[in-house]
Amino acid sequence: MFKLGRKWSERLEFGAFTLPVLISIIAVFYYPFMMTIRYSLTKWNGISKNPKFIGLDNFKEIFSGDANFMNASWFTIKYAILYIVLVNVLAILLALVLDMKMKSTTWLRAAFFIPYILSLVIVGFIWKFIFMQGFESLGASTGWGIFKLSWLGEPNLAFISILLVSIWQSVGFYLVIYIAGLQSVPEDMKEAAKVDGAGPVRRFFSITLPLLAPSITISVFMALTNSIKVFDVILSLTGGGPGGTTYSVAYDIYRDTFQNNLYGYGTAKALILFVAVLVITVIQLTIFKRREVEA
Amino acid sequence: MKSKKAGRIVFEVFMVILSLLFLYPLFLTIINSLKSFSEVMTDVIALPKSLAFENYSYVWKYINYPRLFLNNTVITVLGLAGIILISSIAAYKLARTKTKLSNLIYFLCIMPMLIPFQSIMLSVLQMAKSFHLSDSTWGLGILYWGFGAPLAMFIYHGFVKGIPNEIDESATIDGASGFRLFFRVIFPLLKSVTTTIIIIDVMWIWNDFLLPLLMVNGSPTTKTLTLAAYTFVGQYTSDWQYAMTAMVMAVLPSIIVFMFLQKHIVKGVVAGAVKG
Repeated sequence: MFKLGRKWSERLEFGAFTLPVLISIIAVFYYPFMMTIRYSLTKWNGISKNPKFIGLDNFKEIFSGDANFMNASWFTIKYAILYIVLVNVLAILLALVLDMKMKSTTWLRAAFFIPYILSLVIVGFIWKFIFMQGFESLGASTGWGIFKLSWLGEPNLAFISILLVSIWQSVGFYLVIYIAGLQSVPEDMKEAAKVDGAGPVRRFFSITLPLLAPSITISVFMALTNSIKVFDVILSLTGGGPGGTTYSVAYDIYRDTFQNNLYGYGTAKALILFVAVLVITVIQLTIFKRREVEA
Repeated sequence: MKSKKAGRIVFEVFMVILSLLFLYPLFLTIINSLKSFSEVMTDVIALPKSLAFENYSYVWKYINYPRLFLNNTVITVLGLAGIILISSIAAYKLARTKTKLSNLIYFLCIMPMLIPFQSIMLSVLQMAKSFHLSDSTWGLGILYWGFGAPLAMFIYHGFVKGIPNEIDESATIDGASGFRLFFRVIFPLLKSVTTTIIIIDVMWIWNDFLLPLLMVNGSPTTKTLTLAAYTFVGQYTSDWQYAMTAMVMAVLPSIIVFMFLQKHIVKGVVAGAVKG
């Protein structure tokens, strides 16, 4: 502030450099966020000119038993936990393998990464085709029962399908983060442990895994923020079905807002999602900070 | 020693087979995009008897592929250019100015990384409508400036702090100041992080779905590739050969670019994740 006060030209320059970004960010985040808070206190179908102010009624209704929202929250929690654990375990295992010196390493890394560059909506459609048409042919030619199950038609299987497809699409991303992490583990440290007689399993748990901690923190954080907002892949893979059992919170908000035209009510749910994400992120960052101090 | 080596080779062969199985769904998508309707229906895993390229010419015309490609390019380039420009100059200024106001602005700029898009999507749509930014590829490109800025600011800010102040001072002595100092001296030094930001943002904007769905889905002249594929599949739920063709046409540009820039892309994605 003091420095700026000294010269007008400096102030002007500061403004010219920072105002464009400030205006852009306020326009798409802060202003809409204020509007979101306002809409959440109204009843509005999007057609009438003026939303009707109803105070906290939307929130009362959501918390006093909105079955859709409860189911969607439960779905999202289950999905997030399983996704975070499975995608990270798989990526670490794959990274350990691909960190070894092999002739095909370059190909293998590229192969596992490719789905990550594809749009999730399209990935959902491709797998819908595989589950519906591809499995039929595969079942006929192999005779395996696994291909004859109704992977998108039965609630529990549809949940697993969504989980598998999400992991398929993104495991390559976590894989490359873990490979980068493994390459920073000093080779002589592993050698020293080998000389001391530590087996491969022991070496992994006492040396590699602790040194991978920063990569794990990043990956868990990314997996969490992505899984809590899961939407695209469900939209194209199951469309929320069968029987509305695979709606995530983000999809439920989309349904209420844009399909049922409950603008105020959907926005109230959106605000609850924001608070949930904020709380979870703050908790995660606190744990992250604490671990950094220890290291 | 010999058996150990043999074991390694067996293991490597196993991994290669695993990777091929991993990509098998993409392979099935490609071969079925080249089949006739009855062939898709009788056997999905068989290779096409003859290559039905007419699927491609049909879908190409039906969804107006060149137009979609142009739309995607306009949105991505406009969005990206804006993000790079406004974020780099602001991050530079904020990193160099050590005042309370500067800290506050920086905080306000990176805070939105915590706001999930679904929480504000309805209001963003209303805002875009009132500023006439909806239903236009240019408008959508401009909206990405704000959505992409927080992460870009965060990455640039961290990097600028590592550039010694003496560089600015000596440039000032040489008579450069303001925008000229930034673009002549500082911006070239940011090349590595700029590449990182370009890679993550191109992947994001090119493939983005929900924001384009709300903003430009109304007219076939403003749609993006992903949106067109989405609508197309909705209309052709049983004509899988066309649906698969549309899928291949939507993802092919990304795969081709990836094949050429594979190393840079992987590096950029890792750098972006580690810094973000």
